[in-house]
Amino acid sequence: MPVVGSAIVGAAIITPVLVVLWRSVTTGRLGFTVAFNLTNYLRVFGDKDILPMLGNSVVYAGGAALLGTCLGALLAWIVARTNTPGKTLVELMPLYPILMPPVMKNIAWILLLAPRSGILNGMLQQFFGIGTPVFNAFSMAGMIWVFGLACVPLGYLFLLPVFLSFDPSLEESAYIAGSKPLHTMFKITFPLAVPAFFSAFVLNFLRGLRSFETPVLQGTPANINVFVSRVYDSMALEFNTGLATAYSVILVVLSAITLYFYVRATRFSERYATITGKGYRVKVIDIGPWKYATFLTVFIYFLVGILIPFVVLIVVSMIPYFDYDTFMSFPSNAVLTNYYTVMHHPSFVTGFYNSLVLSSTIAVITVFAGIVMAFTIYRTRAPGTKLFEFIGTVPLAFPPLVLSVGLVIIFLGTPLYNSLWALGIGLFVAYFPYAFRNASGSIVNIHKELDEAAWVHGARWRHVFFKITLPILKPSVGGALFYIFIEAIRNVDVAVLLTSPGKEYGPVTLFEYFRLGQWAEAAAGGVIYLIVLIVAVSVAKFAFKMKFSL
Amino acid sequence: MLSRATKFIAAGLAAGVVFAGAVGAAEKAMKDAKAAAQKVVPSQVTKQAIGTGATAAAAKAFAKVSAELYPKAKQEGNLIIYSVWDVEHLKVITDAFMKRYPGIKATYWQGSNPEIITRAMTEFQGGQSSFDIVLSDNAPPVIRAGGGIMSYNTVQRDVLYMHDPTMATVSLQIQALAYNTKKLKPADLPKSWEEVANPKYKGMVALDDPMRAGPLSSMLSGLKTQWNDEARFTRFLKGLKALNVPVHKSTSAMFRLVISGEYAICMPALLHDVIEEVHKGTPISYVKTIPPVVFPRQAAVYAKAPDPNAAKLFAEWMISEEGQKTIDSVGRESSRKDFKSHTSIEAAFGKGTKPLPVTDKLFLEDPKKWLDINVKPIWEG
Repeated sequence: MPVVGSAIVGAAIITPVLVVLWRSVTTGRLGFTVAFNLTNYLRVFGDKDILPMLGNSVVYAGGAALLGTCLGALLAWIVARTNTPGKTLVELMPLYPILMPPVMKNIAWILLLAPRSGILNGMLQQFFGIGTPVFNAFSMAGMIWVFGLACVPLGYLFLLPVFLSFDPSLEESAYIAGSKPLHTMFKITFPLAVPAFFSAFVLNFLRGLRSFETPVLQGTPANINVFVSRVYDSMALEFNTGLATAYSVILVVLSAITLYFYVRATRFSERYATITGKGYRVKVIDIGPWKYATFLTVFIYFLVGILIPFVVLIVVSMIPYFDYDTFMSFPSNAVLTNYYTVMHHPSFVTGFYNSLVLSSTIAVITVFAGIVMAFTIYRTRAPGTKLFEFIGTVPLAFPPLVLSVGLVIIFLGTPLYNSLWALGIGLFVAYFPYAFRNASGSIVNIHKELDEAAWVHGARWRHVFFKITLPILKPSVGGALFYIFIEAIRNVDVAVLLTSPGKEYGPVTLFEYFRLGQWAEAAAGGVIYLIVLIVAVSVAKFAFKMKFSL
Repeated sequence: MLSRATKFIAAGLAAGVVFAGAVGAAEKAMKDAKAAAQKVVPSQVTKQAIGTGATAAAAKAFAKVSAELYPKAKQEGNLIIYSVWDVEHLKVITDAFMKRYPGIKATYWQGSNPEIITRAMTEFQGGQSSFDIVLSDNAPPVIRAGGGIMSYNTVQRDVLYMHDPTMATVSLQIQALAYNTKKLKPADLPKSWEEVANPKYKGMVALDDPMRAGPLSSMLSGLKTQWNDEARFTRFLKGLKALNVPVHKSTSAMFRLVISGEYAICMPALLHDVIEEVHKGTPISYVKTIPPVVFPRQAAVYAKAPDPNAAKLFAEWMISEEGQKTIDSVGRESSRKDFKSHTSIEAAFGKGTKPLPVTDKLFLEDPKKWLDINVKPIWEG
């Protein structure tokens, strides 16, 4: 039965992917498609800029993924394993940055780090007389910094359950043998978190490869072109979806190579199983005075991850226009007209409502489907599990806009087209890899001896799935639901082609402001969104005691 | 219970059927698209002087066509618009239209030009009667080149700055050379579009990407036609490249960076954006002595429009005096020569200003092809 479920999910995911691939072997501008051939691929491989752009992509995506995943892992370790003071605050602080839509982060950091008009450079000049710009948002370092910060939550949410479900006897053995805490951390704790770390790194790397906002907003002004720009240029400049999809296939190959190394690195998954049949309590390590340093680390991340960009957005949403002088004159020049405009936008309220309902529904369905597929791969002897593993991850390799073209082609002529369901399926396909990889990471960490004990006692798959696997995965389900809900509720790329007249989607409305150059209104809308989400997360945390970890 | 192999075959078949269906539908659409493309009337853009009584004649022609189209449009009952315009503007415009023509329900979907083109052409190739009209600047010519536009020649053509016999020009994209008043003194401003390429502006110019079908490429096309001098055009383009400034893919983001002081000059900005910012008190102005480049914003009827009469009525109403007043009320530029507004060329640039219209036939029909021939060899050479 799990195989059938996984096959249905796999079919739903692979169909748009196959349509996209089919589109890549047809030629011609829109409306003049002639035949199946390899012209698009010949153009792709004849492109002299392809290698430098791929190089930029790898540096950008790799740098950001490394920064974000390492920082996320560190935060997860601090929260789960140390006696850092202010436990509740420390648990919440790494979560809030995830709530900010990526475009908002880009805008905020551009305003902070722009060489000539940036707030930080302006302050350095005004207060310290440093005339030469120190920070530059329009550079590779600036790109890695901003996208790296966006990668932290995934690293944090992937690693937190690993550290929370850690068998302390492994560390205790090290201590008994005379190992120091730091040594134990590097020799025992972190190596056991390798599968989850790789999962998060791979996902962040793939996100980086296909991310578009940061390269366009920060890379283009510095003449730094990444590979995905070619995909979008093929659509935006040439209106040639065939060529765009052919370029996307290069990303698929890159992703496949990345996944190959990932699978190789985690092939002996039992090595990393830390949840076994033995009972234990997670041990919190007393790190002595270092606990203040760890608190400071979490707080600094909270500052740069959300507080500073959030404050910048609030100010920008309340000043008549942005430049350094006007920014520094706040609050004497504060106005609320942008909030009035946003609240009276024809689509803002209905779009926000639609996005709340759809994101919640899709999060539940996607997380459950991800667990089913991961269970099929790691806990059944079904044939073709490697294929499922590939299918479950492949949407990550496609830029969302290209993927949504495939979905539009599929839905055309069906009752689903122009409905919110179409958008829901689009979001499901786009975010399934996150649910799937998260469930995979967690299931790998559950030792097979638990299942085997059930099998020995004559249990069937449904008993094992519902009575053993699901209850153990419970801590990570909350986090996965939270992550996919948040990603879906701020999605623009998939949603933009799948929304329809009269079926508004909140983030698209918000992005429209940004696209039309109305940064102040976009900031006001972003602030409203953020406040609602922050309240929702805080209520979930405090009122319902919900745990957020993947 | 089914065997594992049977389950796999069933799942594979299900995926195969879905995929084959999608491919089949798309293949059929390709054939339809090709056939429709052959029927498209080639575009011609002309600029005519407004004659005496043209306003009255246009009003009369509009009243007649409106009376003819409205009953049929009312029977259709709907109007679906795909547009690049702000949703707030679309709301005002569709509300005014529905008030004027009760019984027609107007809805809209907003996207960028590439998104509109991708969606419209995918639907067209899929044989879908999914929308009625495209309201945009760069999207309609591309969709027309793909066979997705139903030719419609407005009856009010004599009052338009720019006329295309296959699509109604309802507004104009007017380009201005905008600058940050805190960064540049009036005496230091360029005196012409050409002077922006002067090396003294190195590092000061925010430049739109000349290789995308956007405002700068429209301008290049307009200038090339006006100059009719290959060497001058090449010199200008090489001069822009020699400024060694990064190119931007979003005019609005680029304009925002000029306002923030990151750059001093916006090459180019859109007049309605500039006027709006000037009214807000933003440190932005524009060079009034440089003739504005004008490019049509069209309402183009979709080839498979389910409500073609409503679409034509909407296009005509947009050009009518009432429609133009509504367009003006949201700050967008009028397409009529006889309509006065704060964003009209005369009001913004002074009486007697001769705008620079983009009239190159190839550019209007296929901007990418025009760029490949005229700009790419110089810009990337």
